[in-house]
Amino acid sequence: MVFENELRWPGIIGQLFVLTVFVSSILSAITYFISAQSKNEIIQISWKKVARMLFGVQAISVLGIVITLYYIIHEHRFEYHYAWEHSSMQLPMQYLLACFWEGQEGSFLLWMFWNMVLGAFLIFRAGNKWEAPVLSIFMGVQCFLSSMLLGIYFWDYKVGSTPFSLLREVMVGAPIFQRVDYLSFIKDGNGLNPLLQNYWMVIHPPILFLGFASTLVPFAYAMAALWKKDYGGWIDSVTPWTLFSGAILGTGIMMGGAWAYESLTFGGYWAWDPVENASLVPWLILVGGIHTMLAYKKTGHSLRSTFLFYLLSFILVLYSTFLTRSGILGNSSVHAFTDLGMSGHLVFYLIALAVPAIILLILNWKKIPAPVKEEAMASREFWIFVGAGILFISAFQITLYTSIPVYKGLIHSLTGVEIAPPTEPIQTYNSYQLPVAVLILLLSSFALYLKFKKSEMKQFYRRMIFISVITIFSTIAIAWIGDLTYPTYFALLFASVFSIVSNLYYMGIILKGKHRLYGPALAHFGFGIFLLGVLISSANKHTISLNYRGVDYGERMNNLELHTNQFMPKNSREKMGSYYATYIGDSTSEPNHYYKVLFELMDTTSNEVKEKFVLHPNAQINPKMGLISNPATRHYWDRDVYTHVTTVPEKNNDAKTEEEKFTEHQIAKGDTIFTSKSYVILESVEKVDKTEKVKLVEGDLCVGAKLHVYPMDGNDYVAEPLYLIQGGVATPINDKVDELGLIFRLTKILPDQNKVQIDIAEVKPEQDYIVMKAIVFPFINLVWLGIILCVAGFLVSLLRVFQKKKPAIKNVESV
Amino acid sequence: MKKVHIIGLGIIAVAIGIIISMASDYSSYETFSSAKLKTGKDFQIVGTLDKTHELEYDAEKDPNYFSFVLKDKNSEACKVVFHGAKPQDFERSESIVLTGRMNGDFFDASHILMKCPSKYKNDKLDINNYQEVDATPKS
Repeated sequence: MVFENELRWPGIIGQLFVLTVFVSSILSAITYFISAQSKNEIIQISWKKVARMLFGVQAISVLGIVITLYYIIHEHRFEYHYAWEHSSMQLPMQYLLACFWEGQEGSFLLWMFWNMVLGAFLIFRAGNKWEAPVLSIFMGVQCFLSSMLLGIYFWDYKVGSTPFSLLREVMVGAPIFQRVDYLSFIKDGNGLNPLLQNYWMVIHPPILFLGFASTLVPFAYAMAALWKKDYGGWIDSVTPWTLFSGAILGTGIMMGGAWAYESLTFGGYWAWDPVENASLVPWLILVGGIHTMLAYKKTGHSLRSTFLFYLLSFILVLYSTFLTRSGILGNSSVHAFTDLGMSGHLVFYLIALAVPAIILLILNWKKIPAPVKEEAMASREFWIFVGAGILFISAFQITLYTSIPVYKGLIHSLTGVEIAPPTEPIQTYNSYQLPVAVLILLLSSFALYLKFKKSEMKQFYRRMIFISVITIFSTIAIAWIGDLTYPTYFALLFASVFSIVSNLYYMGIILKGKHRLYGPALAHFGFGIFLLGVLISSANKHTISLNYRGVDYGERMNNLELHTNQFMPKNSREKMGSYYATYIGDSTSEPNHYYKVLFELMDTTSNEVKEKFVLHPNAQINPKMGLISNPATRHYWDRDVYTHVTTVPEKNNDAKTEEEKFTEHQIAKGDTIFTSKSYVILESVEKVDKTEKVKLVEGDLCVGAKLHVYPMDGNDYVAEPLYLIQGGVATPINDKVDELGLIFRLTKILPDQNKVQIDIAEVKPEQDYIVMKAIVFPFINLVWLGIILCVAGFLVSLLRVFQKKKPAIKNVESV
Repeated sequence: MKKVHIIGLGIIAVAIGIIISMASDYSSYETFSSAKLKTGKDFQIVGTLDKTHELEYDAEKDPNYFSFVLKDKNSEACKVVFHGAKPQDFERSESIVLTGRMNGDFFDASHILMKCPSKYKNDKLDINNYQEVDATPKS
């Protein structure tokens, strides 16, 4: 069967590119492997040449897949399932990129793309010794990733899922595909998930996936080092990559948080959702690795743990891929991908990389050099090691709890208990992670005052006492002003202020403006600011949309948490914290529906309006997904007022009003009809030439009855039901006055009596209201500032690594 | 024993401690009948909406009171009260995961997670639309 207008060549080319990537990356991995194994330099070089060429083929093919898929989406070729599922005709240009990575296949492609880019940099930067073994591992991983896009059956098992499959191949059996001209019925695609239609979806995934992809670099180096039994030689080469990875992955994770805060309605930036956790854990482990690596570079200690951390970090990235894409989180996360039948494949992928890594590490463990002399308690390396251990525990707890859906089946079969993810995830995770945060804050502050190997303790104690005194006073002041007296909060408050003060002191007084060395202290300082922001914004977060209307449920009214959604009838000025809020109307700009809410801040003494602003929380009433609400936030330097719409009245649809009882009235011009709450006067009956309700063509006859409706409240409405004769068939077209719940129908025209028959139905008037939530987050800007400073710290350190290769600057330890 | 080893053992001890603390205080999926036996503790219940009962939500009366009847996986029905706004399109949900506790004869839900048929997978062709269009060429 030949189908009309079906464009086959992009799919065929795309699929060819996928196959080429798969084959060329596996061949490149093998040739690099042979080159790495060879003792003969000439053989090494010649195999390496072949491998590089194959890498080139792979790189061009990855770009080929990207371009072909983009072409299909851009040209709206809905015969392709991927374009049909993720894009639509109305989708604005900038989101075409986003629908590119909305699906599983596309996000694997994004990952492959970054792998290719990083691999290309590695070829130039890895140096003669490391290129072959590192890229051999790199290309092996690339081969695995490309297999996710194969969509080919090996016997009965389907490997991967290709983005180039046709709609009719996916929807096998749908009767529409029996038709040669089926494409002429598929006018539009499903469209991008409306939740994802915002600019975060355009920038967040590329950064996060660059972060994920970059954790492969330390993994590949560590594997190469174990394989080539050169245990220490890789460290200098890998250092800038790990700092880069830490900065990018950290940015990516927090961008996810900012996205959630700006455009989802969790009411926060972090909810300990499994998907969030799965991306945080590899970062924690990576950061642990960066620190033990530093200790090794200065003292020779902690090399084994560096290996462990770097290997684990990428394995955990794979594990998180498995968690989020196998559908296993189905019941516990709203934003996991659905199962594409890849779980077996993903498990294989995970085992195929994790098992060799662990075995290699165990076999080499004893051979990895470690100094015989122990770390001194008063040394930086000792406390770095302790800190890395704490990060490990933190990662362990998050993984253990996030993985509950993975092992709940096992527990069930062993004990009969159906274990579930924590009912209150935020409290549960916080109760473990809060002490972790306190310890890390303290360690990351005082460890910088210790020197590697051996420190002079007198000076250390003097400085610590000085900093502690400042911290105690500042903490008490902040706690008092900010009303943060709860004991656990107090511990975190003390630790974050301690971190801020000591890292500032370190940068300002000890480093004396040598800003090239600021990296670590800046990152730690940012971490302190971040946690201070987290503490204040969540401990003092308060809902101002408290509903006091309606039924008094007794004691329940005292529990503020139980009435946090406020009912806002249109044009009614409602008290909302220190504001007055009025829902003043709505407007539509497809596909969004904006609700205008006027906020007025009152001056407490003069009782005059001090400040006025309008927020536009929006909602999409999506036919597929129901109400999708986007928050609107008023940002102040010291707080945010965050609002979102939780419910709007459901519009009476036509089907429902049909059931309403119409009463018949035969009236002449000037006559009056009484309804229960209003009276209606027939003003005129006229021929209508143009109307918004229906498209009139030549030969149609349309008559309208102009009605004036006067309710008791003194308002005045006009309604004009129509009577349309089109092609010999007469149809009445109703008109409504929603405010009064009246529906008018012009049923008959009685020319002989000079009358018309008007039928009127009364329904419950449609109310205009919104139910909304408004929350004040104090000092949430500290959260964002802290992250930016922390990432800046990584970047300063990265810069320093590059500068170090030039004339050396005075070392930190000598201060 | 080296200090590093002590720290290593410490880490292992803490990890075991976390496992023990989880084992002693985990949350679990229950049914209404098993949840009734353990009052005062939060549970998760998976079920479907019992469509034979009306949903109770009147924003004007109380925007923070939403009540419905859920059938758990043993088909036992129980009234559920959620102190929040009614999620839009609740009627269309395929399955519902509730978090909360039994409170007398009703289940006091603190959190509702609903799965809608087309929420995260768009695997259905708009056949209605197709049939409508399909009729025209024949006439």
